[in-house]
Amino acid sequence: MIRSLRRAADRRRQGHGRYDWLFSPYLGDELVAIDCETTGLDTRTAELVSIAAVRLEGERVMTSGSLDLRLRPPASLRGDSIKIHRLRGVDLNDGDELGDALEKFLDFIGNRPLLGWCIDYDLAVIDRQLRPLFDFGLPNPCVDVARLYRREMHRMRPQLEPAMSFERVAETLEVPVMGRHTALGDAVTTALMYIRLKQGALAAG
Amino acid sequence: MVDIDLSQPPFTLLDDRGRERVVRGVDLLYFRRDEIILEAGQPGEFVYIIHKGEVAELDPHAPSEQARIAHYTAGDLFGAISILKGTSRYRFKVEQESLCYLMPKALFERLCDDYPTFAEFFRRGLAQKTRLLAERRIASGVNMAGFMLARVSECMRAPLIVDAATTIAAAVARLNESHADSLLVGKDGRFGVVTKTDLLDALVTAGATQASPVVAIAHFELIATGSDQYLFEALVQMTRHRVARVVVVEEGRPVGVVELTDVLSHFSSRSYMVGLELEQADDLEALARASARLPGLVQTLMAQGVKLRFVMDLLAALNGRIVDKAYQFLIEPRYRAQSCLLVMGSEGRGEQILKTDQDNALIVADDSDWPDRALAMQRFTETLYTLGYPPCPGNIMVSNPAWVDSESGWLRTVSRWVERRDGASLMNLAIMLDARGVAGDTRLLDRLREHLFASCSRDELLLSYLARAALHFAAPLTLFGTLKKPRHGIDIKKGGIFPIVQGVRTLALECRITATSTLARLEALAGKGRLEADFAADLGEALALFIELRLKQQLTQLDGRQNSEEPNLVVVQNLSSLERDLLRQALHIVKDFQQRLTHRFHLEY
Repeated sequence: MIRSLRRAADRRRQGHGRYDWLFSPYLGDELVAIDCETTGLDTRTAELVSIAAVRLEGERVMTSGSLDLRLRPPASLRGDSIKIHRLRGVDLNDGDELGDALEKFLDFIGNRPLLGWCIDYDLAVIDRQLRPLFDFGLPNPCVDVARLYRREMHRMRPQLEPAMSFERVAETLEVPVMGRHTALGDAVTTALMYIRLKQGALAAG
Repeated sequence: MVDIDLSQPPFTLLDDRGRERVVRGVDLLYFRRDEIILEAGQPGEFVYIIHKGEVAELDPHAPSEQARIAHYTAGDLFGAISILKGTSRYRFKVEQESLCYLMPKALFERLCDDYPTFAEFFRRGLAQKTRLLAERRIASGVNMAGFMLARVSECMRAPLIVDAATTIAAAVARLNESHADSLLVGKDGRFGVVTKTDLLDALVTAGATQASPVVAIAHFELIATGSDQYLFEALVQMTRHRVARVVVVEEGRPVGVVELTDVLSHFSSRSYMVGLELEQADDLEALARASARLPGLVQTLMAQGVKLRFVMDLLAALNGRIVDKAYQFLIEPRYRAQSCLLVMGSEGRGEQILKTDQDNALIVADDSDWPDRALAMQRFTETLYTLGYPPCPGNIMVSNPAWVDSESGWLRTVSRWVERRDGASLMNLAIMLDARGVAGDTRLLDRLREHLFASCSRDELLLSYLARAALHFAAPLTLFGTLKKPRHGIDIKKGGIFPIVQGVRTLALECRITATSTLARLEALAGKGRLEADFAADLGEALALFIELRLKQQLTQLDGRQNSEEPNLVVVQNLSSLERDLLRQALHIVKDFQQRLTHRFHLEY
């Protein structure tokens, strides 16, 4: 609700600016799966370390033309998150400036609908960084694959309390987990999960 | 992020940059069950690499039971041929939901342009691909290290020491007796070496007589080594001093001699040594000892990447010698001269690698007088059993009177088989066609074979019966990957070895080829223009692959690593993707061959 109000406000403000096309409705049938690695789990303080996005064309995951961005090491990059995404400060020294990275990211995703695993979290972090620089939040429609999975499970197997960990879901959907905790790997896996759900993998199982 | 395994051929033929291009250039795609990925006649747009799942290759024009061409599973690659040829020859259908990587045509073609060896891979025949496999096995090179670490004591033989009074004649006699090349002469606590060359020089050039003492020509400046030295050091010494042997000395006394030939054959997996031991064996026990070393010999030879064909030839020769020797020990010479011992079946073709059942028979000359023949043959069969040849379950052995007969008796038997041509007779004929004489008077066999050819080679109906047997088992292409129970496998004996052997045997009979080994027959058939040389080579390669796969199973059983009681069953899941690819291709060749046989002998109905 708040999101759609904000989007309406953003849209009016962007008017005929550089990014007004992001606000027009998407007419194609592609989707973009996104994922980011951050310095923490708190959306109010976490900063971006890497962002990845991969297009889906029907049932095809376009890994060949994927986006995988690494950012300049943010101030809050510390040991506890490095343990998860394994990107150290030195790995990021030749990374993009935040503004450049977000610009590339926006150009890549365009106005296509977004897919993500617990996408609200990614959106919150991205929006928080996007707003000061571009003066709008991501306007794209979003699909949270985790929520989609929970809903499908509830519909197909109501008696079960689904295990919601990323790995367990991948296993249930028979999707190979590729490069866990790299932004691109998680994005690809999420895309595959989405395709499997749309194919009715749960119904078949 | 692409989780693609590029550690298998053909991707090993790219460099890191090439592989990077593959990783960056592929897309992922899910295929549902029963979806058709590529239709026959459709242009190929992608190379598909299966990450997970199973895909069948089908011939849409063939009747349903023969439609299946091949089966692909995780790690396999398909679609490349369709790109190279423009359109797909067959239909690719998903058998089990599959996740595939798609490499666009443009990328594949650019890779082919940039990496000629990569492109070559897809155009190659089976022969070259098997070579790739062999190269990889050598690359794992365990045995090289084994050789480098071998000690002199592992390779030396006991010295032949004579005293100073020995004459040249006596020395030569000793040398021949013990199959040695050199001996040591002791004089006043010192030892000198005399080689065969020295003896020859002395007798021919220096004019010594047979009665001259051998000590006069001995060399007393010995090239010596210690028994715990590394063998390659001995080799270096020989090279440096340009001699063919070093004497192993311990505490001033010679304890052994290392001959150059021994070192080299130690290096070449002791094949020479086993042969030597066989020749020197003068009783059954020694023979049994030598015979027990054969499996180890096979193992080393295979690990060194020696071509299977040569291993088979060597083993056939060695096995033949063992049987011959055993025959010599047990049967008196006068009976030997009037009989011919045959080995048949795989042993006759020289295609058994590890010892299999004894398949043998005896032809006795018509005028022979051999009272207790049955008893002698009974003993012979038992002896072979103690030498490690298990008895034949079909009782095709000389202990069975049905397989011992006079020459004229055999001629009648063969004629009867040809006339009856029922299942058992045809099998007996096939067994007899592979017979090889190993001991006694082999002219008896030659005459019998002449008779076989005369009565069969023009008999189209009989030939077609024999050929039909080769079609009895369809090439088991269906089984790839779809095995429900993981412990089931492909029976390569029925599905691969037998059709080739039987088909080639039939053609050889038609062309009156006397060779008994399938590979030699194939060569002869190609020589006579009966088969194209390429096709004959591919068939031989396919056969070698099947035998090798079976051998591998047998060897793992030998090591006790695996407890499958059926060595002919190859579990597809245990093979590497290159081996799977080869096996698939080999089975294709078998299928092709079966089709040719069908055509040639009119077996279409």
